[in-house]
Amino acid sequence: MIDEELLGAHRQELRRGTVVLACLLALRAPEYGYALLKRLESVGIPSDANTIYPLLRRLEERGLLASEWNTTESRPRKFYRTNAAGSELAAQLMTDMTELTSSLRALNGGRIE
Amino acid sequence: MTSLTERYLEVALRGIPDRERADLEGELRSSIADAVEDRVASGEDREAAERTVLEGLGNPGRLAAEYGGGPFFLIGPELYPVWKQVLLRLVSIVVPVVLVIQVAAQLYGGNDYAGALIEGIGAAVMVGVQLAFWVTLVFAFLERADLAREAREEIASATGRWTVAMLPEPAPDRMSAGETVGEVLTTLITIGGLLFLRDLGSVTDAGGDPIPFFSPALTDVWFPALIGVLVVLAILQVAVYVVGRWTMALATGNALLQVAFAVPIVVLALTGTLVNPAFAAEIGWPELAEGDGLVMLAVAAGVTLVSGWEIVDAFRRARRAQQRIPLSGAAPSAH
Repeated sequence: MIDEELLGAHRQELRRGTVVLACLLALRAPEYGYALLKRLESVGIPSDANTIYPLLRRLEERGLLASEWNTTESRPRKFYRTNAAGSELAAQLMTDMTELTSSLRALNGGRIE
Repeated sequence: MTSLTERYLEVALRGIPDRERADLEGELRSSIADAVEDRVASGEDREAAERTVLEGLGNPGRLAAEYGGGPFFLIGPELYPVWKQVLLRLVSIVVPVVLVIQVAAQLYGGNDYAGALIEGIGAAVMVGVQLAFWVTLVFAFLERADLAREAREEIASATGRWTVAMLPEPAPDRMSAGETVGEVLTTLITIGGLLFLRDLGSVTDAGGDPIPFFSPALTDVWFPALIGVLVVLAILQVAVYVVGRWTMALATGNALLQVAFAVPIVVLALTGTLVNPAFAAEIGWPELAEGDGLVMLAVAAGVTLVSGWEIVDAFRRARRAQQRIPLSGAAPSAH
């Protein structure tokens, strides 16, 4: 049986690299921080708030996301959206991810499990 | 919004540049509120929900560092923004002051405009480099002290996790940046004044050589030590700002430095070895340098009064801050 702590650490490591891609893909439809967090959780990519919120701002600084304040609701919220550059990066990363998965599958003797 | 979130935001936004602050504050506020509402909607107690959400976000200092970005090496993520702010503020005030004083001193000493400007720029650059070095050194030390404190806190809490109980109590008499700049500036102007008087070259003897203002006893023996004491005092004043208030330890350090500065000055003044007697004689006012003369008595009394007041004031404020801030032993009652 694998040690829980060890498994957790390696899972985190594995996911860390995919969080950026997940955000860029999810934000092709505009969303605010907390809703994005819930969305990622619902598709099986649970992430920490203190990882995602600063990441969104960094991606915006790097010109991969656009943001806009929505003040029409009861609570003003900052919405993020993947822009053209972000979409391009996401497409590239998605290709890499798929290739990586098939490479790993090949190493595993063609099996997914 | 309750005070727990306010206190969290205060720490998390500390050191965030003004132009980003409002935007980030709004975003964090709405994110926290969204998460709390979500938990309340599923039946959780509001207070407990708020605590859980804030503890989920973790140590606000670390969050601030995440937002700040930038390379943190010698100085860690929590102190880096403060270091930057303090250094920029000091350099932007002190360097021009030094430039002006040095140019004025050079002109007064008979140098031409170009020569005075070159000397002034040279002095300003030197002071800028010195400031950068000393401020960075102090923050590097504070950083290590901070890490030690953090380690103790983590050992103290059984879980090793950050909890809202670790939020600093709101302190209304928090040391303001303006106050600190004022104090540090006073200290630095004192340094500048001493250097200016030492290098005063306008009074010359019969051979045309400048007669120094200070007696050799001061210039040769005490001068470097006095300047050193003042530099350390300025650093201590910055440290008070970083800590946020006067503590008993800082007030004690302040008292030692004040004494180390005042005692030599008073003794030199009263023994007639502060001002160069040759200087006083040359300008036709020999009484100026005499230990029982009016001027030296006034200098001794003035230095004693000012230093004494600084010592008492620091202790008074340290005690007040101590009373204001209860010992934070109150653990969160529920999770």
